[in-house]
Amino acid sequence: MNIRFNKPVKPLPPKPSRYGPDPEHIKTRACDLKNIVSVKVRDLFPDITESIYPSEKGVKAVREATVNALEKVDMNMIKPKDSVNILGSHHGFTILGGEPYAEMLKTIKDVIMDRTGAENIRLRVGVGLRFRESDEYIKRFGLDDYFNKRARGVAPIDEGIPIETEIGTLYGIKRCYDADWIVHAHNSDVREIHFHRHVDRAVKPFGMSYARLETRSTYHQNLGPRGANFVARAIFNSEFVQKKWTFATFLKPTPAGIAGVDADNDLFALDERLSIDNFRYYGKVLTLLSHIEDCIAVLDFQAPIPYVFSAGMIFANFSAASIDIFDLDYPLPGYTWYTEAFYGKNDKPLIPDISPVNPAVKAMVINYAWGGYPSVFWAKMIPTIVVGEWQADVFRRDPQNIEFMRHAVVAEDLEAAIEFAIKIADTDKIIVFDGAPGVINVSESLAEELVEKASEVDMEVEQKLLPKWCRQRGIKLEGYADVPAH
Amino acid sequence: MRVLNMYAEVDVEKCTGCRVCEKVCPTLSINVVGEKKEKLAVVDLDTCAGCGACAERCQFEAVVLKTLDEPKVISVDPHSVDEEKIYELCVKASLHPEQIICYCTGTRAEEVAAAILMGASSPEEVSRMTGVRTGCKVECIQPILRLLKAAGIEPKPLKDGWQWYGITPTIWDIPEDVVKKYSARGFYFEEDRALFKKLLDTIKAGGE
Repeated sequence: MNIRFNKPVKPLPPKPSRYGPDPEHIKTRACDLKNIVSVKVRDLFPDITESIYPSEKGVKAVREATVNALEKVDMNMIKPKDSVNILGSHHGFTILGGEPYAEMLKTIKDVIMDRTGAENIRLRVGVGLRFRESDEYIKRFGLDDYFNKRARGVAPIDEGIPIETEIGTLYGIKRCYDADWIVHAHNSDVREIHFHRHVDRAVKPFGMSYARLETRSTYHQNLGPRGANFVARAIFNSEFVQKKWTFATFLKPTPAGIAGVDADNDLFALDERLSIDNFRYYGKVLTLLSHIEDCIAVLDFQAPIPYVFSAGMIFANFSAASIDIFDLDYPLPGYTWYTEAFYGKNDKPLIPDISPVNPAVKAMVINYAWGGYPSVFWAKMIPTIVVGEWQADVFRRDPQNIEFMRHAVVAEDLEAAIEFAIKIADTDKIIVFDGAPGVINVSESLAEELVEKASEVDMEVEQKLLPKWCRQRGIKLEGYADVPAH
Repeated sequence: MRVLNMYAEVDVEKCTGCRVCEKVCPTLSINVVGEKKEKLAVVDLDTCAGCGACAERCQFEAVVLKTLDEPKVISVDPHSVDEEKIYELCVKASLHPEQIICYCTGTRAEEVAAAILMGASSPEEVSRMTGVRTGCKVECIQPILRLLKAAGIEPKPLKDGWQWYGITPTIWDIPEDVVKKYSARGFYFEEDRALFKKLLDTIKAGGE
């Protein structure tokens, strides 16, 4: 493969948030370090669908794609006097600055109004463990005005509602379901494979963003590392939800950008389509990253530690990738909460089935990240250098990370942090998680390694892994022989 | 064990006495007092864990977190309770005593079991004693309810409170027809049950 490395693509500027440091402090970005280059994802894997965003058309391309996708969707159940809740998640706003997802949400509202005459259309945006995060996005993208003051963030500690399911009572957020109809407006990127294991990916928000804390705790404590996402299917299949169900609309990112928008009244059909695409595209990128032998990970993005991106993959997945985390034959990825739970008081696994945190990550440098997600595990498992007291204070003041800085050291600036990391990691290979669109920002030495391995990985995924991943989930793959699931 | 380094402070000019803070506080440390226009949220600094639930849900931005002058530590020492009884309770709840059940505080099942054996009879009391449930406020409610149930305690959720509503199913409760129906769709319940069983078997084998 003959690839010229590019000047590093800059990430978006830091954003102000109650969960992160003041952007004023983030003077140097990891891509500004010498020897950092950008490798275009589509240079590594040319079959990845070309992006409609970023493009010359800007977010207009997303609006067009949403309108087109919704043409095939039945909205006849919605009558002019009915109320409709468009259900969204904070995750969508973390993709390429959030504008594409915001535009998709606005377009869904416009199309519903045009087609059905309904005017009482509300936006409810779920969160993870940062309960004000969605409110920040609603304000930033003017969604409150766009939805006539009917847009609001909802959190898992807000008032709940019991939902009877085929496994028993689970709980949803009451405000998500306080309309005649619901529309599921999400994003299809793989995101937390370590949690959902890409089983019913499209259904997950019913067990998470739209769910109360009891349900989330069931997911992460009661059902096991491969069955966890069943809470989402159980809630979605419930009579309560089905009576309100209309359709789903998904923004479709790939590791290279936004490929389009998909919509369907049948959520499981949509899930099968996005699963195959995700296994093919994200599967290749993650498999390639999991072939890295040693590196320093630099975190430099406006999200908590697990959710910082490189080529569309979140750091949590990379840190978990000591095994193939799509492969359900492996019970526990190197990182997931069940894995973390099963480490004993001596910080050693309680059972031998536990994969270590990806041993390729020799050191972690945090130049810019948010709090608001329990992250002490990484600091205990990976030598961690935090850049600046302002970033250290984010963790010290975070109820979810009070102990984080007990296990990390502070460097005065990014250059000093990298210098130290190279000494302790004994490698000059650097991978940057900064969310730069369509590329992986890496040191030149690592760029060469990625390019060298890409074609082999492409073949491995196409011929061996993709059929296996689909087979394990009962997904039929055109052109491949039918094989029993497992 | 939980290090406390923050506390909640109410801005009396902004507080409307709407009671949302009361409904979400995991340690019942913030209460609205007074009548009608005089209503005001008041924080009990002896029990406030500085978790921020009130600050995060107040629609009027009337609560802020402040730094304590001196950090405090709350914890229950599992060694102060009969080890056998802790093991018994954990096994009954299908939890390994050393299993972490709160990812924010690193609290293990044994500490919560010890708190229950020392008299805690609700999630709120467990939180006040151990600090569990005062980080993200979300992920650890079920193992606490499972341990309370194993001790024969079935606490009732607070009237009008949103702290928690009830205990939910575990992998062991999933009906066999459901297990069978979805095993070909990627839900590996039987395999995950075997994994949990292996973890619990290490207790019988004498620990780690």
